[in-house]
Amino acid sequence: MLKATLLHKTGPQIVQEIHACIGCNECLLVCPALAEPLTIDILNRETVGGHISPAVARFARSCTQCGACVAPCPVGLHRDAMMMWLKLRLWRSAQEN
Amino acid sequence: MSEKTAIVSSLAPVSEYGDIVIIGNGIAGLTAAIEARRLAPATSIVIISEQCHPTIHTPALKQFALGRLAQEQLLAYPAGTERSQRIHVVNARVEGINAQGKYLYLQGGRCFGYGSLLIATGSRPNSFPADLPGRDFDGVLTLHNLHDYLDLRRRLPEVEEAVVIGGGAHAIETIMALRHHGIAVHWLIRGELFLSKMLDRTASEIVLAHVRHLGVKVYTRTEALGIVGRVGSAIGVVTNHQKMIPCQLVLACTGTSPVMTLAERCTIPITHRQGILVDEQFRTNVPDIYAAGDVAAYKDPQTGAYDTHAQWYAAVQQGRIAAAAITGHYDPDAHAVGVSWHATHLGEICLLTVGSPLLPIRGAAMLSDKSKRRYSRMAVAGDRLVGYLSLGQTQPDSLAIKRLIDEHISIRSIKGALLKGSFDARKYLSDYQSQTMQQLVTSGKLPAIAPPRRITPVPSLLRRVIPVVQHTTPHAARWQWQPSEKLPASIPAPADSDMDIQQNRQTEPLEEPSPFMLRVYEQQTIHGGDDVPQPEPVTGEVVVPAEKIVESILVPLPARSNSRGLWSYSRKLPAVQVTAASMDKTPQPQGAEEQTGGTTDKAPAVRVNFLL
Repeated sequence: MLKATLLHKTGPQIVQEIHACIGCNECLLVCPALAEPLTIDILNRETVGGHISPAVARFARSCTQCGACVAPCPVGLHRDAMMMWLKLRLWRSAQEN
Repeated sequence: MSEKTAIVSSLAPVSEYGDIVIIGNGIAGLTAAIEARRLAPATSIVIISEQCHPTIHTPALKQFALGRLAQEQLLAYPAGTERSQRIHVVNARVEGINAQGKYLYLQGGRCFGYGSLLIATGSRPNSFPADLPGRDFDGVLTLHNLHDYLDLRRRLPEVEEAVVIGGGAHAIETIMALRHHGIAVHWLIRGELFLSKMLDRTASEIVLAHVRHLGVKVYTRTEALGIVGRVGSAIGVVTNHQKMIPCQLVLACTGTSPVMTLAERCTIPITHRQGILVDEQFRTNVPDIYAAGDVAAYKDPQTGAYDTHAQWYAAVQQGRIAAAAITGHYDPDAHAVGVSWHATHLGEICLLTVGSPLLPIRGAAMLSDKSKRRYSRMAVAGDRLVGYLSLGQTQPDSLAIKRLIDEHISIRSIKGALLKGSFDARKYLSDYQSQTMQQLVTSGKLPAIAPPRRITPVPSLLRRVIPVVQHTTPHAARWQWQPSEKLPASIPAPADSDMDIQQNRQTEPLEEPSPFMLRVYEQQTIHGGDDVPQPEPVTGEVVVPAEKIVESILVPLPARSNSRGLWSYSRKLPAVQVTAASMDKTPQPQGAEEQTGGTTDKAPAVRVNFLL
């Protein structure tokens, strides 16, 4: 039986995780949803604020929250929660427009 | 700003000026610049650096050496961030500081005025001793900056055997990178254990066994006495056991030291020991001069000792706090570095240390759990976590555990899960938040709100006193420190007066809100904020989470109508009743373990002559 888990984290937690990201790129290397080159610095900055570029938006939409990115992180961060936050930002920006 | 510029210009031959000048473009410096730009949009911000490349993710350099990252992927911020944030970057070397005139001497005779100065010069590697024979041979590298790793990356295809010297996390991460390339590695450790300051004996032995299992030859109690070369290139390392280890590459991973040259070249001496001493706002003893990053030594909230923390996340936090202090937006509740935190992958093993899992603290119980694939150790005081150490196949939610310690969140119901590594941080913290909210509603008492913090300039006479006093939060208490012979001499024991304070505070009821509540409810309420007692400055004692024990007692919720109101759909969560309890009543730890400090025995160093 599947166990219900929380997928999201709060905004301050997401910012904290972005700050703690060491940019090793391991999460993106294992991601099955990443279809085009994307650097971790741009993904991090656009996750927490500012304009979301088309490439990052496509990546956020294609993310299925599979969680493959969590285990490789050397510092124990949760890219899946960051992607969920990015999806939320994307949805909000779509609502505003 | 122009008036300020004119004043400075009248005092010194200054041709350039910045309201905020940052020396160094590491992650602490750039983070401070970006945060300062956010907080003070109109100020002029200047970064002076002699580094020839933008800020990069330095912890990712090992992945870069492995070829898993391109050079462009190392950037910490997107290209052009400095320009878009209107941060002026000056490529120059700072030779000295005139603190009275508030200007810098740059290489070439230039002078640069500043309103506030942030020293973020970082650290430099501890390379081989200057008298080590053969240290200048080709193939002898010290891994620290981008150029070192570029050099390593070019050499790796030609290397079959390498010697790595050093007993820290940097060394073992380098070893893993070399093994990933299929290079035979010899690892020389001066002591008997690995990371003896962070890991206990059990954890250290697990890591060493794992490394040996990966094919690395580990030489404990071994030092390099010299490097043997042939026609200018390294071909081996001679150890103090009179053994030569053949290799084509010798890597020094022997730690780093803060770059404190500018602290010594300031017209007003900047206090420094093992780093520039700073207070909680990262101010030095000299007015308008701050320090952050690897170079700053600040007070550990648990031990009270001043120490540097050469880690990525710590540098980011310090840069943000320094920027807030410089721009007058410092908030002690929102800006706190917290306890130390270190997480990394050692091959297939995930290592995590948070807080002080090894320090012997009176009243703290040491809990440990060891299974085939996992080892964890916790220091627990009452129902509060003090330190956490974990080795296992998976990395726990490390930042959530740091939050448990920083915010003094009770772990009574999750001790077992923490030990087993099955702690569901998101669920627990979400439930904790819900319970806190429900307590707020059912108790009918809103938490007292701290008054808005006003940033008042500190008189220069007071600011020159180091160590700077630490203002503890009202909800925090002090803990009796148990001196130990095994502890470093830099950790002070509390004064008798501090003990008196502790005794008095043990009888106080829990009236102040938790730090979580302070952050959530920042708005002013009917309780006002003027009655909140101001914290008294204290120094040199160990600050512990709290001396009260919050006991969970099931009580019925207030009667509600049948209408589907706010709480109709929510499950009944236990309200809490707060009782005061003395720390002396804390049960003595069961099976408290002795600290297994690493031995630092040095084998007798014998210098030998080489025919090189």
